[in-house]
Amino acid sequence: MNPYFLDHLKRRTFLENSFTGIGAVALAGLLGRQESLGAPSGIPEAKSGTGILGEKRHRPVKVKRVIHLCMAGGQSHLESFDYKPKLAELDGKPMPASFTKGQQLAQLQKQAGKLKCMGPQFEFTKSGKSGQEISNVFPHLQKVADEIAIIRSMQTEQINHDPAHTFMNTGSIIPGRPSMGAWVNYGIGSEAEDLPGYVVLTSEGGGQGQPISSRQWSSGWLPSQYQGVQFQSKGDAVHYVANPPGVSRDAQGELVDSVNKMNRLFGKTRHDPEIEGRIAQYEMAFKMQASVPGLMDVSAEKPETLERYGCQPGDGSYAANCLLARRLAERGVRFIQLYHRGWDHHGGIKANFEKTANLVDQGTAALIRDLKDRGMLEDTLIIFGGEFGRTPMAQGSGRDHHINAFSMFLCGGGVNGGVTHGATDELGYAAMEDPVHVHDLHATMLHLLGIDHLRLTYRFQGRDFRLTDVFGHLIKPVLA
Amino acid sequence: MKQLVRTIVLSDSYAQSSQNSPELEERDPYNRLLARQRGIRLPAELIRDNALTVSGLLNPEIGGRSVKPYQPAGYYQHLNFPRRKYAEDLNENQYRRGLYTHWQRTFLHPSMKAFDAPAREECTMVRESSSTPLQALVLLNDPSFVEAAKALAAESEDILDMFERALTRRPTAAEVAVLEELLASEESRFAADAEAVGQLLGVGMKGVSADQRSQLAAKTSVARGILNLQETITRY
Repeated sequence: MNPYFLDHLKRRTFLENSFTGIGAVALAGLLGRQESLGAPSGIPEAKSGTGILGEKRHRPVKVKRVIHLCMAGGQSHLESFDYKPKLAELDGKPMPASFTKGQQLAQLQKQAGKLKCMGPQFEFTKSGKSGQEISNVFPHLQKVADEIAIIRSMQTEQINHDPAHTFMNTGSIIPGRPSMGAWVNYGIGSEAEDLPGYVVLTSEGGGQGQPISSRQWSSGWLPSQYQGVQFQSKGDAVHYVANPPGVSRDAQGELVDSVNKMNRLFGKTRHDPEIEGRIAQYEMAFKMQASVPGLMDVSAEKPETLERYGCQPGDGSYAANCLLARRLAERGVRFIQLYHRGWDHHGGIKANFEKTANLVDQGTAALIRDLKDRGMLEDTLIIFGGEFGRTPMAQGSGRDHHINAFSMFLCGGGVNGGVTHGATDELGYAAMEDPVHVHDLHATMLHLLGIDHLRLTYRFQGRDFRLTDVFGHLIKPVLA
Repeated sequence: MKQLVRTIVLSDSYAQSSQNSPELEERDPYNRLLARQRGIRLPAELIRDNALTVSGLLNPEIGGRSVKPYQPAGYYQHLNFPRRKYAEDLNENQYRRGLYTHWQRTFLHPSMKAFDAPAREECTMVRESSSTPLQALVLLNDPSFVEAAKALAAESEDILDMFERALTRRPTAAEVAVLEELLASEESRFAADAEAVGQLLGVGMKGVSADQRSQLAAKTSVARGILNLQETITRY
């Protein structure tokens, strides 16, 4: 990669001469544009933890936080939320060429011309009062069918894992742009004073665990205080969270304070935007030393709660991460992202999809119910789904990557539970009715947070960038 | 290739100072004309090497088997399989360069991971250079860095000496004032708490022989501060 490109990323923004706090960094990019951002006239409040929009929002605030449950690897829509009886009929028969002619395929490209259909591997049941069709390998999700809005007509632009995740997170296939969690924290800050506003947890199992790069939760050219922080899902959530022996909390506090003073003095002569970020990170680290032990102490959780999630706290499972997600949500973390790596079912999809589904089904449903019981579902947005879908064509005993159609669901405040939106063609190959693009998902997410996606911008390299770039439409039918 | 590298590193552009100025920032915010260098945070391994070097702990031995620096207890119980035990090296191998740190497949040492060392799951052409609170926790609390601070404190005459060893420049008067204030406060804290002195000086496998133990503990705190500075972990 061109090092100057990286250099540009690091420069982030035009900086004012003085360093008067991280807010000044953000402010520099905003000068003269407060109006379009809807910020109050004069200087936006710069205190840490407040986004540039402050308390002001463009839209009614439906949700305070987002929990993104990422089914990494590419969950098959045909085995989860998009039942295709016609595909079952054609199982083992040639895929009609009209579907695939001239289309970009992933690993199946070399077999073009010899493609065969693979029928859905599981039965589906019309679930809940709404009668949404959900695969029988998700018995727990079937029970919350009336809470979730299924989108069957998702489309993306990238056919390989890493760029597809990049696209899902940043709205761009070019690495280096801010992740949606960073955008949200930049826009409206976090309510968590002593935890990062954007926390990431990962788990794996049930299939090939494709790697996830920490670049996926990067703040790109936004100030680095907005970047996602990955917690360990096993053992201590955060390593080195305890002071060294013989060092009290007061002493540690004084030390951190001295380090920040020294960095500030240095920053005055250096004009390096990284220094302000470093100071903010030391402040957060010190706060986390007090907050993380409490976050992880689940001894006060009722046994029924643990049973509902079906996990032992801290066992590294997806379900344990779901429980942790609820605890993070309670503490005001703005954007929580869980990746379950295990959906890349190129082969053995029948057995392996079921395994992976077993690992996420109960935890996901438990999280929805738990939030609902606590009155938190109404101000939480849950986004569930992978970075792309899988082909209706067989790849041996599995399915290949597929971008023309996949399914996701939304759940929570401002979302019409029990609605199925959009439809694919009779074989589940392409989104035919109401296609929903990744940009539309982003626009809708921001809308529910009270943000107009057209008006949350950041100037970089002479251009006002948005999470939705120059795209994005609200998915109105799923909005309550 | 060698010639290309030579040409690059001997060029005036490569030798530009990283000292930025408001004028340069305004005239060329993205440094297209290369009138300056930019600060580059050291990679994970070198952050460790740097702390070991300035404290005099570094064992410069080259090659050989991987080594096992201090690691949080129980970290390996989260390996999927097979069961492995991590036995820290309690000899001079403790102070080898970061390059030689044992790497259990994709399960890398947590302090390396915090500073963006890749898990080697995929080819990495350019490492991330993030800035997170987890990095602050490593530099503040990882016993490798606490022990390095203790050694730096024991090796140095005073805080000026400590500062120069770490940053190869003299501190400004304002910087000295901050460090002296910290030192004075730590001195009074440790003078009144012999137990805390013993605990802090007990970090790491190397003992220290000092008459004025509480004084050394206070200096260790200042050294911890110095090892945590942005300037210490950045190549300017």
